[in-house]
Amino acid sequence: MINEERVILMTKLASYEANEGKRASKISRYFRGDYVSVHLLKGWISITMVYVLLVALRILYDFDTFMENLYKMDYLAFAKGIIIWYIISAVVYLVAVYIAYTYRYMKARKGLKRYSQNLKKLGSMYNR
Amino acid sequence: MGNILEIRDKLKYLYTKNEVFLLPVLKFMLAFTAICTVSGRLGYMAKVDNLGLILIAALMCSFLPVGCIVFFACVFSLLHLYALSLEVAAVVLVVYLIMFLLFFKFGTKDSLLLLFTAILSAMNIPYVVPIVAGLICGPMSVVSIACGLVVYHLLYNITQNATALSAMNTEEATAKIKMVLNGLVNNDELLVMIVAFSVTVFVVYILRRMSVDYSWTIAMVAGAIVNLMILLVGDLVLDTEVGFLGAFLGTILAIVCAKLLEFFRFCVDYNRTEKVQFEDDEYYYYVKAVPKMTVAEQQKTVKKINAQKASAAGSSYGRAAGTRVETERTGSRTNYYREHASAPKSVTIGHSAMEYEEDEFESLD
Repeated sequence: MINEERVILMTKLASYEANEGKRASKISRYFRGDYVSVHLLKGWISITMVYVLLVALRILYDFDTFMENLYKMDYLAFAKGIIIWYIISAVVYLVAVYIAYTYRYMKARKGLKRYSQNLKKLGSMYNR
Repeated sequence: MGNILEIRDKLKYLYTKNEVFLLPVLKFMLAFTAICTVSGRLGYMAKVDNLGLILIAALMCSFLPVGCIVFFACVFSLLHLYALSLEVAAVVLVVYLIMFLLFFKFGTKDSLLLLFTAILSAMNIPYVVPIVAGLICGPMSVVSIACGLVVYHLLYNITQNATALSAMNTEEATAKIKMVLNGLVNNDELLVMIVAFSVTVFVVYILRRMSVDYSWTIAMVAGAIVNLMILLVGDLVLDTEVGFLGAFLGTILAIVCAKLLEFFRFCVDYNRTEKVQFEDDEYYYYVKAVPKMTVAEQQKTVKKINAQKASAAGSSYGRAAGTRVETERTGSRTNYYREHASAPKSVTIGHSAMEYEEDEFESLD
């Protein structure tokens, strides 16, 4: 005789294992701080590369003007502007990364918690 | 309505049953469309603009993750642009890299939206995307849609200036770069479209989640109106080249697509909505239960079995082939059992009847 409740529970568990569960189990190997820190580091590398590319594109876009003013420009002010914008972009981006990955971690933990509860429930059904 | 719902259920059943085969076919079609669109619009490298090569790439995409379709489309576009000009290809590569590093590290789930936005923009019907994204994705899909618009406008600008770009010498590299980037920097149309689509996604998403009857329909209509209004205002203020008639027709098409999507994904019967209220020690609960719209599938019943003259060799079940089974549709399952119970045991049933029987038992389970 098929136990309908058990089948539903097993289907849920199998579906979770096949989809979200894979990613969640990888995430849960880390502590939250470690997981978020790793992604913050990756995010910092990404934003730095992107910023360099953007500055290069900006210079290339107006290359003739840039070359004309190369000897006249205030290098200190130019560097200051670039650094200030870099800090602002990096902070904004890293805050977004922090929020996104903290949320992702919490979600994965919650999913795994529910998964283990369902596993226990399934076990108790078999022990009945 | 009953028949349409039945067809929907059958389509869903067919899809679920053959998902293993259908998914690669759909991926192949999408990859083929994407790469063909890229090659058709750009097509500067004759070696790459080859149907055999496109088919091979699309076939590979059908077995690889969805993100690979975007990757292959990018590679094809870069190869074509390289044939046009090295500087142009370099700038586009940098733009792709920026998008990848900034946004797609968060997940490639929405990369399909980027692809659809670019393809549908090329077909002049991008208005479907924000409404559908608002209905089935989250507000973060705005990023993918914006990236799709950026890619389309960048490539469109290049195709418009292709003659001038190919005529320029290597000494004029900076002029080439400026010309390419002008497609993004001084493009009011792109700006208006990004704003319009972003606001539309948010409006549709918020309204779709509201606890009101017909929230999906309200969301898609409101989203369509908001989208049109912003495009119109943008056209008036910034003098963009968004054709209002095209936008209007595209929006109507978007609503039709969204209604189809609603029908397949979220078909509920508001007439049978139940609102219940109860409480426990800590909370009051106001629960609104909206039942899904379903129909009982009509069952085929064996009415008459006619023996045919030709008797071929028996099937693997030891039954003779070549018999014909006449069936009729009824709404109840009891008839099925009654008919079978009264069927003579000595009747031989051919292959077609066996298939039919198996289907019946599957549906009954």
